[in-house]
Amino acid sequence: MAATYTQPVQTLIDELGRLPGVGPKSAQRIAFHLLKAPRDDVARLAHSITDAKTRVRFCVRCFNFAEAELCPICLDDRRSGQVLCVVEESRDIVALEKTGEFHGRYHVLLGAMSPLEGIGPEQLKMKELFIRLEPEGVEEVILCTNPNTEGEVTALYIARMLKPFDVKVTRIASGLPVGGDLEYADELTLGRALEGRRELT
Amino acid sequence: MLVRSLELVDFRNYITAQLDFVPGTTAIVGDNGQGKTNLAESLGYLATLESFRGAPIDALIRNGADTAIIRAEIIHDDGRELLIEAEINRSGRNRVLVNRQRLSRSRELLGVLRVSVFSPDDLALVKEGPAERRRLMDDTLVSLAVKHDSLRLEIDRVLKQRNSLLKQCGGRVSDDVSLTLDVWDEKLAQHGEQLGHARATLVARLTPMVLEAYEQLAGRATPVELVYEPPWRRTGLLHALSAARADDIRRQSSTVGPHRDDVEISLNGLPARTHASQGEQRSLALALRLGAHRLVADKVGTPPILILDDVLSELDSARAAALLANLPIGQVLITTASPLPSDARADRVLRVSNGTVLV
Repeated sequence: MAATYTQPVQTLIDELGRLPGVGPKSAQRIAFHLLKAPRDDVARLAHSITDAKTRVRFCVRCFNFAEAELCPICLDDRRSGQVLCVVEESRDIVALEKTGEFHGRYHVLLGAMSPLEGIGPEQLKMKELFIRLEPEGVEEVILCTNPNTEGEVTALYIARMLKPFDVKVTRIASGLPVGGDLEYADELTLGRALEGRRELT
Repeated sequence: MLVRSLELVDFRNYITAQLDFVPGTTAIVGDNGQGKTNLAESLGYLATLESFRGAPIDALIRNGADTAIIRAEIIHDDGRELLIEAEINRSGRNRVLVNRQRLSRSRELLGVLRVSVFSPDDLALVKEGPAERRRLMDDTLVSLAVKHDSLRLEIDRVLKQRNSLLKQCGGRVSDDVSLTLDVWDEKLAQHGEQLGHARATLVARLTPMVLEAYEQLAGRATPVELVYEPPWRRTGLLHALSAARADDIRRQSSTVGPHRDDVEISLNGLPARTHASQGEQRSLALALRLGAHRLVADKVGTPPILILDDVLSELDSARAAALLANLPIGQVLITTASPLPSDARADRVLRVSNGTVLV
């Protein structure tokens, strides 16, 4: 795109445009909004970005966001170390925590296998997962990667790598959203839900 | 299934257009280059979200415009009326609305409208490489059951990832990468086997339909054979992939799988691609389309909308008459530059001139 704005504005638009989910049009809108906003508001935003970036790091054990060596979940000794839930991103932990159903610990891979993006097992926190199993006395690993091509392949890979370990490996079920209508479910989801049906007793 | 009306905005050479169809046969008449095929293509887009000419989606938007809109009123056999709207954007995402409700995924539209398109390019089904024949199989499978579309997309995705991994290896594979390839192979095999099975079942059902259609078109019984027997189906895809592993690594691409399959077509026991005459090839191509159309009509219970795009002029009068006489009963859209053959009883004739529809 030809630079039609003065250089600082164009740089701002370009930088915003590199954020996930922000296209050129949105980048432009956000940039204009920031330029019109009071100086204090913008300074607060800039500060919160640098502050978060300096204070937040990855938990050395599970790679969730943490302010210290360990994240709050790993520090919480009421949580069971016997069950380990493997997710792609920290935000997946937030989603799972909202269920209130899981009382074990997590392990964040920081992505999923995708050769197109140059991500293989070495780029993910896989070895870090395997070395956790014995010392933490893990008995079950729940694979909670996304139910898409890359997530499925990542789960399959981990399952294979865990074969020599003495742990139970499970995969979360995929199926219908609760409170939804069968009629509106796409055929793939519905097919999976049928596959994973359970006997009612 | 019926299309009651079609409305276009900035689609191809149309600034705006508004057409009403009749339940029987609608003929669209006009000189070459006036926009007859564009009308057919717009209906095709609503059915498959692709151009049946294989044109990039960008090409569907009128020169100088940013958004093309296709709007059609569909009436299903059970009386259900649907207003389908597709918005094609030069930049940004395309949108699809059904009864003014936006679909979260455009591909949910598949199956709402079914069409069978016959075009002069169909000769490629017999004369050209396997890609055309794979497309016929897979498009027919999607018409029969929409789930095949997800299967096809999933296989494409896995292949892209697998090929990307093979390229990164640069001809040499460590044990670690070999383990990664294993899981991609397993995924490819899982979905590939499903598609292979679906294709084999389809070809078995399609063969008698094509045989019958060919007989009607050619006027005499002729042995037509369709053979879908990819070697990997004998050993299983997972096994075939592991056997081809060294080759795949060396060539840095996936040399085995459903994306390389073919259907061999033979006439009188000889490969039609190399041995059939021009006329026989044309009849075969028509018979393949007609067979697929009838199969879908049979299985789904209602014939797809039949679009005959400029095919009548390609056929000699006997074949044209035979085709028209053997069309299943349903809604038909015929585009032609030459006068309609006397056998084609059009219930409505629309004239197209320079991007304008004259009634």
